[in-house]
Amino acid sequence: MFDINLIISLLEITIAGAIINASVYFIPVGGAPAAMATSTGVGTGTTQLAAGAGFTGLLAAAIMASKVGLTPEGIALILLSGAIGSMIMLGVTMLIGQLIYVFGVGVVPAADKCEIDPITKDPQKPYITPGTTGHGIPTVCFISGLIGATLGGIGGGLAYVALISLGFSPAVAGTIAIGFFFINAVLASYNIGGTIEGFHDPKFKKMPNGVIASTIASFVCGIIIILMAL
Amino acid sequence: MNELIITLGALALSGALATIAGCAEDLESDVGSQSNPNSQVQLAPQMGNIHRYYNKAISGEPVSYGLYVAVAGGVAYSLMNFGVNPILSLIIGSGVAAFVHGAYAVSAYLGRIVGQSKNFGQPVYLDIIMSHLGPIVGHGFIAVFCMVLMAYLANTILGNPFPLPLIALIFGITVGSIGSSTGDVHYGAEREYQKYPFGGGVPVANHGDIDIKAEIGLRNSLDSSYFCSRLGGVLTGMCFGLIVFLDGWRGLIGNIIGKDTYTSSIIAIVVGLLIIAILTIVNRKIEVFAREKYGPYQ
Repeated sequence: MFDINLIISLLEITIAGAIINASVYFIPVGGAPAAMATSTGVGTGTTQLAAGAGFTGLLAAAIMASKVGLTPEGIALILLSGAIGSMIMLGVTMLIGQLIYVFGVGVVPAADKCEIDPITKDPQKPYITPGTTGHGIPTVCFISGLIGATLGGIGGGLAYVALISLGFSPAVAGTIAIGFFFINAVLASYNIGGTIEGFHDPKFKKMPNGVIASTIASFVCGIIIILMAL
Repeated sequence: MNELIITLGALALSGALATIAGCAEDLESDVGSQSNPNSQVQLAPQMGNIHRYYNKAISGEPVSYGLYVAVAGGVAYSLMNFGVNPILSLIIGSGVAAFVHGAYAVSAYLGRIVGQSKNFGQPVYLDIIMSHLGPIVGHGFIAVFCMVLMAYLANTILGNPFPLPLIALIFGITVGSIGSSTGDVHYGAEREYQKYPFGGGVPVANHGDIDIKAEIGLRNSLDSSYFCSRLGGVLTGMCFGLIVFLDGWRGLIGNIIGKDTYTSSIIAIVVGLLIIAILTIVNRKIEVFAREKYGPYQ
């Protein structure tokens, strides 16, 4: 009854959950304060933005899966396609958000959690409006966001591949993948507790705990999903 | 070749629909004061600012738009299975979603404002409900119809394996997260705080001290949509349009250049990487422009 394919699918689902959880820590979200240019990052919630990017990646992965099938090369293409779809969504969103910060609000993109941008070496503190904790999406946050989107797309794609190989139809696999994505993104969101600027933020150090929690949750989810598939 | 042209046409139409949907979604969230900037409208009476803004944060925008578009997609899908004309089904589905939207909008306003009436003296303005409900539901209908039509095109022409309601749900969640990430910043950081000088973020000490006076008389949320339609709404539309178009276009380029499925997929991925590199460079250029043009605060 239990063959090796089921074990592989269970492992894929567990790893996918851990990757999705890790992805959320990279995405620069300032929550409600960022919508008032009071904190650095994109002005929405962690789960919401990760889900938006992850689902765009999921759509890209699903289209690719219907074209290439589940060979090893096919799976690699599905995961890459999910990552690219996710990165395009988040990249365009961060860029347009940046345009509104710069031309609509008139602020300079500046990170609060680092003195100088580790990528461009630009000083950050003098450009922050007094009384706020930064605003906009400086380069370090943009790059961090793209890494997060890549992981989110790969995680979503991997979960979808596992579900398809368990024999679910694309419709059921897509629905379960959405629910599964939300579980792991919300776990990360609770662990972050509000806002995070990206990999340079001290809150990023919380990631290992979140990933462990997600690995356990995804393993339990995986068992339930496999029981559904039997 | 004919199939390719039809696919290109469907993709172009999807991009155009996404642009309209994004713009309408953002303006709806400005008239209805949904999403993150609504925290300020909610906070205002506690800071002594009695206002005439509409106040409805039904939930986060992605979840609420996921609901409306999925309702529209679900109804349309059922009607199509009964043999009703697809376009008519999509219109009826969007109409049902508009009623759901309207019901949530009214109950959210009454619930939120009444909750603040007793302790903070914020009145319930019935004329605000009557005057704002039309634009809220109207903008919502435009956004939902465009997205459910996009979902239909994705399902029938662009090769998406998911059923219509699921694609509709995903588009709804995506447009909500885009709208709350981009256009709402213009409403929250600029329109609500126009009495403060242009060119700075809103310090935490000023939170809740929103502008309650309009150009003439007292400000209501219809004025906000007028203001935000000049930048925030347009850019939100462009954002969603670009995402839908660029993501589809890279696949199409792959199909045109590639000889078989694998090479076309690899080309699509490489084109995607190029697009991302360009986005990163443009973002950096804007950052440098802002640093040089505006300078430091101290």
